[in-house]
Amino acid sequence: MYEMQKVDKKFPGVHALKTVDFNIKRGEIVGLVGENGAGKSTLMKIIYGAYQPDSGKILLNGNEVNFANPREALASGIGMVFQEQSLIPSLTIMENIFLGYEGQFVHFGMINWKAMATAARVQLAKVKLDLDPATITSKLSFAQRQLVELAKVLTLEERVKGDLVILLDEPTSVLAEEEVELLFKLIRELTTRASFIFVSHRIDEVMTISDRIYVLKDGNVVDVVVKGQSSIEAIQHKMVGRNVDKEYYREHRQKPFDESKVLFELSEVSLPGRVKNASLKLHSGEVLCLVGAEGSGREAIVRALYGMVTPTSGQLSIKGAAMEQASPRAAVERGVGYVPRERKIEGIVSGMNVYENLTLSQLGKYSTRGVLKIAQEKALARDWISKLSIKASSENADCGNLSGGNQQKVVLAKWRSGGSDIMLLDHPTRGLDIGAKEDVYEMIRDMCEAGVGILLVADTFEEAIGLSHTIAVIKDGQIQKQFDTKQGAKPTPFDLLHHMI
Amino acid sequence: MAAMNIERLKPHFPWITLVTLVVIVSLIDPTFLRPSSMLSLAGDIVPLFIMALGITFVIYIGGIDLSAQSMANMVTVLATVWLTSLGAWVAPAVVLMGAILGAFSGYFTTRLFVPSFISTLAVGGVAFSVAKWLSGQKSVSMDAAQRDHLFGWMIGRTFGIPHELFIAAALLLIMVFLERRTILGRTLKAIGAGEPAAVASGINVARYKIAAFALSGALAAMAGLLFSVKLSGGAPSVANGFLLPAIVAVLVGGTPLTGGVGGVVNTMIGALIVAVIRAGMLYLSIQATQQQIVFGLILICAIAFTIDRAKLKTVK
Amino acid sequence: MQELLTRDKLLKWAPLLVLITLVLFFSAINPNFLSLRNFARVSITASPSLMVAIGVTFIILMGSIDLSMEGAVSALAVVFCYFLVWMGGTVAGLGFLAIPAIMLLGAAFGALNGLIHVQLRIPSFMSSLAMGFVGTGAAVLMTGGNIVKINDNVFGSLLTDRFAGFPLMAYVALVFLIIGWIIQSYTRLGRNFYAIGGGEDLAHASGVNVKRVRVLGFALAGLYFSVAALLQVAKLGQAESVTGSNFMFISITSVVVGGVALWGAIGGVWNALVGVLIVAVINNGMIVIGVPDYMQDGILGLLVIIAVVLSTDRRSLAFVK
Repeated sequence: MYEMQKVDKKFPGVHALKTVDFNIKRGEIVGLVGENGAGKSTLMKIIYGAYQPDSGKILLNGNEVNFANPREALASGIGMVFQEQSLIPSLTIMENIFLGYEGQFVHFGMINWKAMATAARVQLAKVKLDLDPATITSKLSFAQRQLVELAKVLTLEERVKGDLVILLDEPTSVLAEEEVELLFKLIRELTTRASFIFVSHRIDEVMTISDRIYVLKDGNVVDVVVKGQSSIEAIQHKMVGRNVDKEYYREHRQKPFDESKVLFELSEVSLPGRVKNASLKLHSGEVLCLVGAEGSGREAIVRALYGMVTPTSGQLSIKGAAMEQASPRAAVERGVGYVPRERKIEGIVSGMNVYENLTLSQLGKYSTRGVLKIAQEKALARDWISKLSIKASSENADCGNLSGGNQQKVVLAKWRSGGSDIMLLDHPTRGLDIGAKEDVYEMIRDMCEAGVGILLVADTFEEAIGLSHTIAVIKDGQIQKQFDTKQGAKPTPFDLLHHMI
Repeated sequence: MAAMNIERLKPHFPWITLVTLVVIVSLIDPTFLRPSSMLSLAGDIVPLFIMALGITFVIYIGGIDLSAQSMANMVTVLATVWLTSLGAWVAPAVVLMGAILGAFSGYFTTRLFVPSFISTLAVGGVAFSVAKWLSGQKSVSMDAAQRDHLFGWMIGRTFGIPHELFIAAALLLIMVFLERRTILGRTLKAIGAGEPAAVASGINVARYKIAAFALSGALAAMAGLLFSVKLSGGAPSVANGFLLPAIVAVLVGGTPLTGGVGGVVNTMIGALIVAVIRAGMLYLSIQATQQQIVFGLILICAIAFTIDRAKLKTVK
Repeated sequence: MQELLTRDKLLKWAPLLVLITLVLFFSAINPNFLSLRNFARVSITASPSLMVAIGVTFIILMGSIDLSMEGAVSALAVVFCYFLVWMGGTVAGLGFLAIPAIMLLGAAFGALNGLIHVQLRIPSFMSSLAMGFVGTGAAVLMTGGNIVKINDNVFGSLLTDRFAGFPLMAYVALVFLIIGWIIQSYTRLGRNFYAIGGGEDLAHASGVNVKRVRVLGFALAGLYFSVAALLQVAKLGQAESVTGSNFMFISITSVVVGGVALWGAIGGVWNALVGVLIVAVINNGMIVIGVPDYMQDGILGLLVIIAVVLSTDRRSLAFVK
């Protein structure tokens, strides 16, 4: 019924979808799995009209179609139920259901609430939700909101002739077990009117509900699995399975770390959100990598170590001292350096030059009674520009104009020049070209040799495996397993994935 | 291509504008170029400049200070009323008052998350109340002899140069030093140009923001002090009509509402631009009553032109 | 979830409780407070303020702000007086046309205000503040700093004629309050204000023409400002460049104290009413019990800070500028 033929999509630096074929029949439930970056979200966006393919054809009931935007896709019966935040909390349920399509209830400029409520009840009945349509949306639970979103998409039934294609993006991530079962029951009943595309990182659920499953990896469809003809492990193997280039990650430079010097320790730490009872230790000279899906809690742990989030329970100690009051200032004083994911926003200040950025975390050191010692700042900058081979015209160059790799070097230099020996690196090589990435790997090895401990959140499994001494796998806020990744005995990406989902 | 060139020229717009305006006005009336008239013009603009200097710091970190005018008003009354009892100490006293009230605005904005335009409006209201209360809702005057003795030097002339200009120059130098050579200035620059990065570098952003508001309050107080010396007295409405041109001076000088670029030297250029526009309007016989609407329109154009839209995701 | 419900309920009813408490408080200190004549006096102060407050409420619901009221009210009041005099001097004759003319002008001013904000992509607080300066400047320009007086008993009857003890202007304000309520609850435009305030990107993606709604919202505010100007002229019998002064402070304070959230989508015209009454009662009450009037601004200032702090959900704000 809906078919994609050889659809291709490229973004600057990334080949997101490589001539992908995809189809879904009437009343079918198709699952879509793949690790982060495999192309799932790009594929979905093309289906519901937010992106347009660079090449290839899309056919709906045999006719070629071209959606310039989501509203056009909606008009043809293709809609998406979003993961979260796509209802306006201050409006009533019925207003959200008919958002953008209220015209049918408006006479002489006035809204006929009674008529809208009646129509809303019909929609709510489809998803078996018995609520007053005039309820303000912010008062609903997550599960109820999910169902309202589904009801909203199902309005397509009345608006559009023909069959519907409904995309479900991680619909179960906020639901409890019974609610998931109810949702699945509902979906199965609705297949008389619509086909569903179910996207999730929870492979067990996808296998339960889907008739067929598409497995994506690196922009390709590596397999299409039919219900009952595969296992979770087999699918996971298909999702990963690449060779790890040892030379690339400078594995030969990986030396054993000093087990006696503990730099930080988390004991049964819980954080606001999902992280519960996390226990971790970082030693001098060690690279500890946190692996997990988006939203699993990695970033929360990193931010907690930087003092931006206070633990709700458990103890967090840095260099033996318990951190009671969370503050970045305190963390910095204890030697923590933070290299954030959003380099351009949180890493460097665009508009300030190299030496200004370098000293930003240590202004006290380069000043006397409030007055800056600029000559010394400049000398520091020149020193580190040569040490790290930062390609900048001089210490006066605007950091906003440097390449990504050089910006990252400035950020690393900022902390290293201040003597930080606990480095929190969040996706440090994201968006960098190969050469810059290799430079970062060299720097990581240099730091380890100097006794620095590194907490890493890597871009890919390969990076995590190649760089680290220890890997902690996180799923839904809890640390599932820790791996020792000594040279010669490193886990495979599959091992990691298995515990991640 | 054209867009890129405009971006490169942007930092130079302020002084180019100034020169252009000077040329235009001198064409309207060549007496404008006489040193004595230019010096008078510059001298007149000094209180406005001092007020604008303070507002610069707040706008630089991305906020706005709508209390400057009310602060100055309050200080004219305070200075007059306290002169007899405090003598020369009245100067540091009122500046301290300004700083304290400014710190309150800063505290409300940073720790209590009240938008800066409301915090400063509210604190301005409090200042206004104080002014009305202490003055009994009318003008009050200073003892002329005492004023001359203690502060007469502020309004004299040496070699034909009004002393206010020396004061302005001194303040400018101090502020430039503050901006470029102190931790405070560097931190404010980081906060204005990249607040998330400043936070991620371990800087206590709230504390420095409060300092910016306090500085603005202190400078508004200094402007008020100068007013009261010039008028030898005070009243709750002396500084009315100064807020708008002060904000115009900051924006037109090259510190956009979004902050992060510009600074005190820019505000000096901006104040001069305002002075030249005023002179121009006078020569064109545009009366005082008509000037305000002109400034309002200039303000809109200045904002539209200088704002960094990349910094604003949704314009609310 | 439970926590959210009680917090919402508290936010909803707190302002009304505060109003009732204040009335009881002032009456206890001085029983003269609780008289029909005094309430009528309160309604005279409150009516123009209510119009401004309702106008600004629509804008705040969208998550924006309109600070042009002082200049708008001054300029509109001045134009009305000139127009009325030009058309014969009394609303009993041709002068009646001055009323719809001013309302149209107010809407036009608001629309211009909105267009500058939307088309030039200037944050609303700055564009409206600047427009406010333009309005005041226009008023100064037109009056030359003088006062424009009108001498019309028919128009003045808005103040002098009483019905059930309350002046006609209070009923006019009431009518516009009800109109405002109908707009916010029963029209697409009104519901669009809430949609934009609650989720602008989403509203946009669902087909709401955000730019158009914004401009219409500002035009509506301008219309309400014009009604405020009319009532203020009826009250004072004249107009000048400072007719609109203090409206900004009072209306923003009222709206926030009444329970309209500054970040949008929460509250409505009834909150504006309660807030305006609270402020008017405080002003009036202070006079009745003998507090000097120079304290008004200071107390209002503290009030607005407290109101914003109490109603702000700090977790949802990354940083406030």
